[in-house]
Amino acid sequence: MIDNTSSFRVKKAFGVTIMLVLLFFAALPTVWVLIMSFREQAEIFEPIWESPLAVTLDNYRGIARSDFPKALLNSFICAGSSTLLAMIVGVPAGFALAKSRLSGKFYASWLLLLLRMAPPVGFVIPLFLLYVNAGLIDTYFGLIVAYMTLTLPLIVWSMWNSFAQVPDELIEAAIMDGATLGKAFLQVALPAARPGAVAAAILGFLIVWNDFFYALIITRSSTVTAPVAVMNFISYDSVDWGSIAVASIALTLPILPLMVIANRYIVQSLSGAVKG
Amino acid sequence: MTSKPQPRATAELERGYRNMLLPAVFAVGIFAIVPLAGMLALSFSDYHLIRGTNWDFGFKNFVRLVSDKRLMGSVYAMSVLSFFGVLTQVLIGAAIAVGLSKIVGKWRLGRVLFLLPYAVPHVAVALIWLSLFTPTLSPINAFFDLFGITVPSFLTTQNGALFAIVMADTWTNFPFAMLIILAALQGISPDLDEAAALDGATRVQSFFYVTLPLLIPAFLMVTLFRFIDSLKHFPMIFVMTKGGPGRSTQATNYYAYIQTFQNSNVAYGAAIAVTLFIVAAIISFYVARLNQRITS
Amino acid sequence: MKRLLTTLLSASLFAGVAATTTVHAQDEINVVMFGMPYTKGLQAIAGDFEKETGIKANIDVIGQDVFENRITLSFTGNTGDIDVVHTPVIQVQRWVAADWLKPITAEVDAMAVKSDIMAGPLDAYKINGEQWAVPYMAATGLMTYRKDILEAAGVEVPQTWEEMLAVAAKVHSDETAAIAMRAVPGQGFNMFIFPMVMRAYGGKFFEDYTAGDLTPAINSPETLEALNVYMKLLNEYGPQGAGNFNFAEVQAAAQNGQITFAVEGTGIAASLVDPDKSKFADKTGITLPPGGPAGRSPAIAVHGLGIPASAKNPELSAKFIEWAVSAETMTKIALAQPFSNFTTQSVAQNEEVIAKYSKVHPDFLAVQAEALNLAVGHYRPLLPEWPALGQAIGENINGALNGLMSPEEALEAAEQEMRDILGL
Repeated sequence: MIDNTSSFRVKKAFGVTIMLVLLFFAALPTVWVLIMSFREQAEIFEPIWESPLAVTLDNYRGIARSDFPKALLNSFICAGSSTLLAMIVGVPAGFALAKSRLSGKFYASWLLLLLRMAPPVGFVIPLFLLYVNAGLIDTYFGLIVAYMTLTLPLIVWSMWNSFAQVPDELIEAAIMDGATLGKAFLQVALPAARPGAVAAAILGFLIVWNDFFYALIITRSSTVTAPVAVMNFISYDSVDWGSIAVASIALTLPILPLMVIANRYIVQSLSGAVKG
Repeated sequence: MTSKPQPRATAELERGYRNMLLPAVFAVGIFAIVPLAGMLALSFSDYHLIRGTNWDFGFKNFVRLVSDKRLMGSVYAMSVLSFFGVLTQVLIGAAIAVGLSKIVGKWRLGRVLFLLPYAVPHVAVALIWLSLFTPTLSPINAFFDLFGITVPSFLTTQNGALFAIVMADTWTNFPFAMLIILAALQGISPDLDEAAALDGATRVQSFFYVTLPLLIPAFLMVTLFRFIDSLKHFPMIFVMTKGGPGRSTQATNYYAYIQTFQNSNVAYGAAIAVTLFIVAAIISFYVARLNQRITS
Repeated sequence: MKRLLTTLLSASLFAGVAATTTVHAQDEINVVMFGMPYTKGLQAIAGDFEKETGIKANIDVIGQDVFENRITLSFTGNTGDIDVVHTPVIQVQRWVAADWLKPITAEVDAMAVKSDIMAGPLDAYKINGEQWAVPYMAATGLMTYRKDILEAAGVEVPQTWEEMLAVAAKVHSDETAAIAMRAVPGQGFNMFIFPMVMRAYGGKFFEDYTAGDLTPAINSPETLEALNVYMKLLNEYGPQGAGNFNFAEVQAAAQNGQITFAVEGTGIAASLVDPDKSKFADKTGITLPPGGPAGRSPAIAVHGLGIPASAKNPELSAKFIEWAVSAETMTKIALAQPFSNFTTQSVAQNEEVIAKYSKVHPDFLAVQAEALNLAVGHYRPLLPEWPALGQAIGENINGALNGLMSPEEALEAAEQEMRDILGL
């Protein structure tokens, strides 16, 4: 037994080492961006150990004064709304795919995936013409609806997998006890699939948060989102590295509190999961 | 499925399920059909940004595809980027997910830290990695220079440039794999591990024989979604290499972009996109089938 | 927690619904341009235009890549949402061929400022006898060099690419490479720079462009010699990784003191001799790019303002263009921004403008004027197909530079692809 634990320790040390290496991989570019964000344009690529004191807040001030904060707000509006709407429509759909014995459900799920598969270059022009004719260019509504086509397949599929892990017996028992399907879904299945639902919502939100393509086509100056606004720092004869670094940080910071909240929620649900 | 409900009740239930599924299909369908139909129509047309169209529809774009050597080159670049990109993202994402839940325990901040790269827009990701891979800008090169070690230049050779793009792509997308696998891990009841331990399995054994098989649907889903996205490789190439050296990192989607916007050849670009779409649809059909078989 | 999340998400939804109302003023025009000092300067003083004319100008300054996608879609969709558009001279032929622009010959003739605009750039926008846009800037190729390094090596500033090869061999070291130039493939990247070498050796794109003989002729001994020089300079005397450099990397390498020579456009060159932007500015000189047996041909890129065919209020658009290129507006921008390559000539006589740019570098304005004088208008051929041609040639040049093919193969492939694109 003692032997077993020491070999376990070796394995654990091995695991921790791998985790540290991966953390380094994940963190290195982040640290590099942080450093760039505090450097002056002329010194930005000078090794930090050569001029550790050449730091400035100019990049941050510049971003605060620009239109970028408004673009961040636009990103938030679109990501939040389309995720919420996609969750309302998509979670029940995932449940139905996991639990029903409908013959066409497989094709329905495959159909959901189809739009995600087409390379945008092929359909930019038709999509743009559709939006022009519907009067949806540069509107939040148009953008939110477009984003649902990105988030829905993801949410439906991940909820399908999550609900599949909820034992059928739980739902059958609830229905035997006289619950309606809706009740069984809301009160029995959904609480059991909570970690999956939170994860799906986060991913849906993030997909929209960093989408470039739809925003490029559908937005103009009033609804422009942050990923497109970042491009404005690359101009004809200069790349504003400092502003791009600050913009990247500004795009990740608002995500942090959201993640912490959601994360606590995933961990919480661990104890309550499956057991009902 | 030991006790089957009454047939009548089943029919009613199935109707309920169908009503839950339909809104999602409609929501996507309406906005999917017009652009997809438009893309299909363009691919058979002769539409050109400068010359317009003579309403000449036919298969000639697809005939041209078959003998297009540049298309073959682009398929190679795309395959390398997709295969290695998706593979490393799933492996790293899974390793971190397992590490976070089995080794590190409830280190909540860890999850948040590992998720951050996913929130950075791809254009910025590409610029960050461009600077890391450009010898004159990179802090990595500067650091090794202190010890007299010269880090090779990656972006000027085909394999190096493909590697650099895979790195950037992996950095921003592994959190996607991590989060889904983490959620799947947490959906697995700890009772199963306990039961395996009672039967004398070590923790590693119980991971491989009990946990891993239960994660397969999550793995399939991550692979499928990342694969679909990897066919649309664009910002990384556009910012980091512009398709170079030469044309060696012009993945198919990037090539379609060049045909459409640089060469004004919208119809041919659409034909490339349609072909990619069909390939993706076929592959995802089988992956979806597999997924369905495993989940039910 | 759940409630908090839901509240946050719902709040975002309501914010979205609430914010969808838009207000429309009476006289309003939309101007779309991509980011550069002039456009940013123009955006900053848009209020002056409204004060003078009562017309509100919404000037949208966006990234160049975002710009190209947006205008292509707007033009193909015929949406009429753009009243004045940033018109690069290398795109104007393509836009005219696609019927995307409105001819403005009469409008331009009526502008008082017309005679004050440099004839070369103005004529570059003349196609089939009609005027399609009005230029506001002409950027040229320039060369910066580190005076201290040349002095230490005891060499002069090279006047030809041949001399450059010899000088580069002498000044190249591990710490400071000799030269960096744009190398990534693209008509605005390596194809902004490489033709300077090509033309210096007598290489050309076509048999006889000016006489209208558009038979591709890039696969010539002259171009091959030029390509070998370009490759040797970057591969043997360039910084590590030079084969994937764009303007940003060239600029950073010079700012870091990692290169002696940079051959670049006016904007980057100006930043390298500006003490506010580069630590090595006081040690950096500026001059014309090298020439060769066939003379000296600095790169040139002209930018102007045009009116889309679908614009709803062309009179207002023309009024805006007249204001935007007027000497008064140009002077304001030249003083507020690093904008020295204006095409409205009388601005160059303004005392303050002269003072400002002489302070940046005493030779700056003179060298710029000389480069502009030497530049050929059709430095990059003015053809509707140029974006496609430039892309194809650039890819092959970059392939040769990075050793994927021999220079001979690259030129042969480039010429074949030119023929394919032109349908010959």
